[in-house]
Amino acid sequence: MQLDFSPILERLPYLIGGAWLSLQIAFLAFFLGMLLGLGGASIRAYGPGWAKRLVGVYVVFFTNTPQLIQIFFIFFALPDAGVVLTPYSAVLIGMTLNAGAYLTEIQHAGFKSVRRPELEAADTLGFSHLQTVRYVILPHILRVLFPPLSNQYILMTLGTSMAAVFGVEELTGRTYNINSETFRSIEVFLVAAALYIVITLIATLSLAFIGKRFFRAKMRWF
Amino acid sequence: MWEQLIEEAPRFFSYYNMLFFAKALGTTFALSAIGCVVGFTLGFVLAAIRLTTHPGLKPVRITVQLVTELVRRIPFLVTLMLVFFIFQGLDADLSMFTVALFSVCLIATAFIAEIVRSGLESVHHNQWDAAATLNFSYWQVLWWVIIPQAWKIILPPVFGFFVLFIKDTALASQIGVIELAFAGKTMTNKGFSATLVYGTVLLLYFVLSYPLARFGKYLETRLAPTQDR
Repeated sequence: MQLDFSPILERLPYLIGGAWLSLQIAFLAFFLGMLLGLGGASIRAYGPGWAKRLVGVYVVFFTNTPQLIQIFFIFFALPDAGVVLTPYSAVLIGMTLNAGAYLTEIQHAGFKSVRRPELEAADTLGFSHLQTVRYVILPHILRVLFPPLSNQYILMTLGTSMAAVFGVEELTGRTYNINSETFRSIEVFLVAAALYIVITLIATLSLAFIGKRFFRAKMRWF
Repeated sequence: MWEQLIEEAPRFFSYYNMLFFAKALGTTFALSAIGCVVGFTLGFVLAAIRLTTHPGLKPVRITVQLVTELVRRIPFLVTLMLVFFIFQGLDADLSMFTVALFSVCLIATAFIAEIVRSGLESVHHNQWDAAATLNFSYWQVLWWVIIPQAWKIILPPVFGFFVLFIKDTALASQIGVIELAFAGKTMTNKGFSATLVYGTVLLLYFVLSYPLARFGKYLETRLAPTQDR
């Protein structure tokens, strides 16, 4: 077995372009999933009983089935009902719905972590409602939530590789393309693995920096 | 849409189709169960190696740390392809199931090693020192002092990982292992409507994963760590 990286290195810019698309998908799905999760967590904390149960069913269903099959369902089964999606939007919708379920759980745990004595203390000090949110609730929630959220973001970056199954040309998709062009399989997948390591390391380091610097979160550099 | 599904259902839920799904479910279960057991065992060993303090073992510790850190940053699909092509390059004549099993064990080991390590580290260092004063060896400290205190912290996230992990095995369909996701693809290729097929596949995964998730939640409340350390 001889390794020859030269045909891969020629195509490195193409791969890096794919990594950029992976990052975009991960970021977009994370952002939309955060909004969904915020809605879900608020309903779970303050909503009426039937809405709580509905969110509960959503979370349990989406966290207990594979993301791959969820996207399969969205991509192949929704056309039966007359909804035809491009691979990119199917992957994005699937990832958003999946992330929304996990992020609902994470944010709900954050909401629950604010203790009543903290609120009473703020009340005793004569804080207005807005001041309580700004100086007591938000700093607390962000500090508690930042580590699990960044962890979820990293897992989602890795999860974007599933998009290749549907023909989206992100990092793994482009790796497939180069593989079928050059047949340098081991080399191209090694380079792809290295690129994934690089993009997740950059994400981990910058998130740890932001978390430690601005939210006093307990985080590890690696 | 509904009429079509109702019309199709009796043909779809035939004896042989269900037998096919049952076998596929068995394969998914075997992949996840073996991966969990191997991953837990090896993960424990790797975590224990990382906590050793003997200076001669430093290169081993660094290698273990590097491998666990790097494997956890590669998507499972890429790991799977890499393992597949490396075995091919070595001319090893292995079944697709074995290739998938190998990759599954690899990532399970890396993730669980990290969970176990942080669990073992959560036990206060005074405990190590106290045991050392009593002339315990490294393995004695680990077995008699650290693990009895750490397993409550280790078990809940390990079960959380197992739940994530069952779902990751769906990617094994990409190299042609006949498990649930692959069974779904085969059935749609046979002409059954995707709604019916993937609905069934989603349900079967749910049946596999939900009891484990519930058990993990139960452990989490049952073993909630006491604050008396």
